[in-house]
Amino acid sequence: MKSFINIDSKLADIIINEPSVVTVLNRFGITLGVADKTIGSVCAEKNLDREFFATIINTYINEDYFPERILSSFSASKMIDYLRKTNSHYEQFQIPNIERHFHFLISKSDHANSNLGLMLSFFNEVKSELLSRIANDNKHWFPRVISMEQHTPWAIDSEIDGFDEEDDNIEDKINDLVNMLVIHLKGGVDNNLAYAVLTSLVGLKKDIRQNNRIRNRILRPLEQALAAQSDKT
Amino acid sequence: MKQSVVILLHDTLQSIGIREILRDSFGIEALCLQSVDEMSIDVTKDIDCFVVDNIHFLANIRFFLPQQTRTLVVTDVPLPQAEYKQITPNDTEQEIVKTLSTFFEQSQEPQAQSSVLSQRETEVLILIATGHINKEIADRLGISLNTVLTHRKNITAKLGIKSVSGLTFYAMMNGLVTPH
Repeated sequence: MKSFINIDSKLADIIINEPSVVTVLNRFGITLGVADKTIGSVCAEKNLDREFFATIINTYINEDYFPERILSSFSASKMIDYLRKTNSHYEQFQIPNIERHFHFLISKSDHANSNLGLMLSFFNEVKSELLSRIANDNKHWFPRVISMEQHTPWAIDSEIDGFDEEDDNIEDKINDLVNMLVIHLKGGVDNNLAYAVLTSLVGLKKDIRQNNRIRNRILRPLEQALAAQSDKT
Repeated sequence: MKQSVVILLHDTLQSIGIREILRDSFGIEALCLQSVDEMSIDVTKDIDCFVVDNIHFLANIRFFLPQQTRTLVVTDVPLPQAEYKQITPNDTEQEIVKTLSTFFEQSQEPQAQSSVLSQRETEVLILIATGHINKEIADRLGISLNTVLTHRKNITAKLGIKSVSGLTFYAMMNGLVTPH
């Protein structure tokens, strides 16, 4: 397990130890060129909740670390705000980045190699599932949980049911895609370009896994607790 | 080590040509057949290598899938199944001898059994990829539901692929089902 960060930890050290954390920092408006800023100073500068920020970063860099008690203490709207930023990062950066790498790899590879085209089709299937989940989050799930937290009436709909399973599907499929590339890639391909596809996919896989833990183990129980509370009143 | 080789080619002249090259350059007396059906299961397990044309290969891909390292395909156009050694009829005799020599060397290396599906697992994979649920697969193959689950577990362990979509794309990539 990597060392935990605290308010005195330097952003530069965190990034050097785990470069993929940049994708999470971006969601909080932090980009490369961090100088000697610490978690504490950047949170003050960006008006961020220090404890929330540090917890999210710690759960990202230590995949086995998941402090349910601490995470459950944050409000649903704070959690949703982070998940919205995460979703938007997938849509605007991570998915287009993988697509760009994939197309470049295919354009520079042996055309008789039908393998990569099918892998891209598989990725497109994963992408449309992920985008449909994001659309459902924005249209149904997030507004519903926020309205529950704010004690305002919400329209009950059944469209959110079954999304636990979909979360697992997306995670499994990205994992399958990574394994396909690592184990079953065939024919003449540019290794550097294949590596770029692989690292971008592995980054998304790690992110989705962390995101699903927050969705399923924090926000969903929080939603159930809010629903039970509102039933009582 | 003396190899036991079966030649399965539609073109009689090609068949005779390969048989002669095997005899002259490797001292191998190959058996020429017209169809996979001429081989009984008992005979198959004693065969070291197959030299097969793309028509026989594609028509019997389920048979050849578990025999990856033991199959050499004679084909005019390169097949997407790049893990199979391939030669074209236009190759020079020298090139053909060189390819055969490498092929025989590789076929004698111990196979990475962990990544090669058995014939039954391949059948299960094809049924998964064509949209059948476990119960239907069990009925189709005349096996129990538990056996289907064991095959699925083994397929996932061997291929590193778990989802139905992933398995379907894998089957497409290996020519086991046609992309829709």
